[in-house]
Amino acid sequence: MILSPEILAILILDFIFIFFAIIAFILSIKIFLGWDANSTTKKQYRLEKQSFLTAIIIKYIFIVKVPLFLFFIFTLDKMSNVIIGAMCAAGVVDATPYGIYLFIFKIMNLYFFGYWLVIHNEDIKYETQPYTRLKFGIFIGIFFLFIVELILEWLMFSSINIDKMVSCCGTLYSSSSTSSISIIFHINKTLLLSIFYGNFLFIYIFYLLRKKYLFVIANILFILTAISSLIVFFGTYIYELPTHHCPFCFLQSDYYYVGYLIYTLLFIGTFYGIITGFVEKSKGNKIENYKISVIFNFLYVILVSLYPIIFYIKNGVWL
Amino acid sequence: MIELKNITKIYGINTNNKVIALEDINLKIKEGELVVLRGASGSGKSTILSLIAALSKPSSGEVIVDNKRISKLQDNFASIYRRDNIGFVFQKYNLISTLSVKENIILPLVPLNLDVKDVEDKLSVVTKRFNIAHKENTIVRNLSGGEQQRVAIARANINNPKIILADEPTANLDEKLSLNFIDILKELKKLNKTIIIATHDPLFFGLDFVDRELKIHNGKIIS
Repeated sequence: MILSPEILAILILDFIFIFFAIIAFILSIKIFLGWDANSTTKKQYRLEKQSFLTAIIIKYIFIVKVPLFLFFIFTLDKMSNVIIGAMCAAGVVDATPYGIYLFIFKIMNLYFFGYWLVIHNEDIKYETQPYTRLKFGIFIGIFFLFIVELILEWLMFSSINIDKMVSCCGTLYSSSSTSSISIIFHINKTLLLSIFYGNFLFIYIFYLLRKKYLFVIANILFILTAISSLIVFFGTYIYELPTHHCPFCFLQSDYYYVGYLIYTLLFIGTFYGIITGFVEKSKGNKIENYKISVIFNFLYVILVSLYPIIFYIKNGVWL
Repeated sequence: MIELKNITKIYGINTNNKVIALEDINLKIKEGELVVLRGASGSGKSTILSLIAALSKPSSGEVIVDNKRISKLQDNFASIYRRDNIGFVFQKYNLISTLSVKENIILPLVPLNLDVKDVEDKLSVVTKRFNIAHKENTIVRNLSGGEQQRVAIARANINNPKIILADEPTANLDEKLSLNFIDILKELKKLNKTIIIATHDPLFFGLDFVDRELKIHNGKIIS
């Protein structure tokens, strides 16, 4: 295991997370099974106090998890300097069989923790706390996903072998047979871009029509179409290289860390988009979740679209 | 209307040193009523006040104020309930000693974001009513005990609450100042406030304008 200060920090935080998440998990089970909002028994008053404590634990795990995810990417990027063949975080993710699953779990859990927080915030806006059982029931499920994530993280860091050569992102994100996502490079670019912009157009139409479930589906699809088009098309304009498709390299300083902005816009836009399925408008909030989603998704579309447009204006050709 | 239903309050419930402060208390207090809770230290008087003020929750049972289940409120709603309904005069006044009289009194108005004029109007009403207007800009630590108490009463009334709770309000005062406080109580009673006083000061016993005296002993109402 490489014990760099960054990895040590992540692992120490993981242990703290496990400790508190287990407390929250046990209390969540007690609350889920015993909650009766109308009851005035000792048990119910104790559960009310425990629900307050549990909510704080879960909230702070999430609050630390968000910047920690960015720090995780940063750490992978930094590790690529010591792993032979790796040019960026992509090579490190591919260095062990656990990397890609860890990545998927991390992103998934960010969305789940985020949704938990939304339900919690709605719950505490009402005197009757209508979602208390629901939110702790949901956390019981999230806990298992979270533990899988932490185990994968431990497995990944412990099985990285710095002497073993890994593939660089140029190979991993290409149409070559060694690439696990080579299939998306066989899609016609014009078709892919049409799907991407069409998907955004549908998001906007469903926003105007206030069709919440269609809006949610369009947002889930948008995560896929946005990332596919980013890898196949827009990324090449960020690098100004027709052969480079890595979705990690633009997180580096060479590209002014623009990747963090790109992914943050996409995360916020789709996150609020999917929220509308649960909560169209938070009590007391002036802005609808629909609007936040459309604004951030729009900013994402503008940002990634600017790269090819500027490239064309500067050079007079498309890549 | 304030109603305490089957209230039990145990401190340190999960420890070896648990203390039963209140045991299966039932109590109804009508709007505009002035009730004196009598009893020795540790009998449970202050606990009753803190439950009515939603400063703490019972171990079991419930507190209902104007049909609202106070004891079931989360902290954020309990704060709103206190802000809108309760004026609390603490035994040690709980004033901020480094702030002026005026600043202490208007403190409960801060979360309301009122206009300066509204704040000044409310301040003027209570400082005149409780005879502390001439000390408005004095730092609280430079006041006498009786003056500090008047500031505490003014602060408790600045929001014009329906319910005034006073916990051993005369514990730190001499007899003359205690009698002054009793005069203030008469004034508040005329304003149709519901007033609950927890005290073991004999000056409060047998007063003609007090509606009820309740004797608390070992966490139970005995008369």
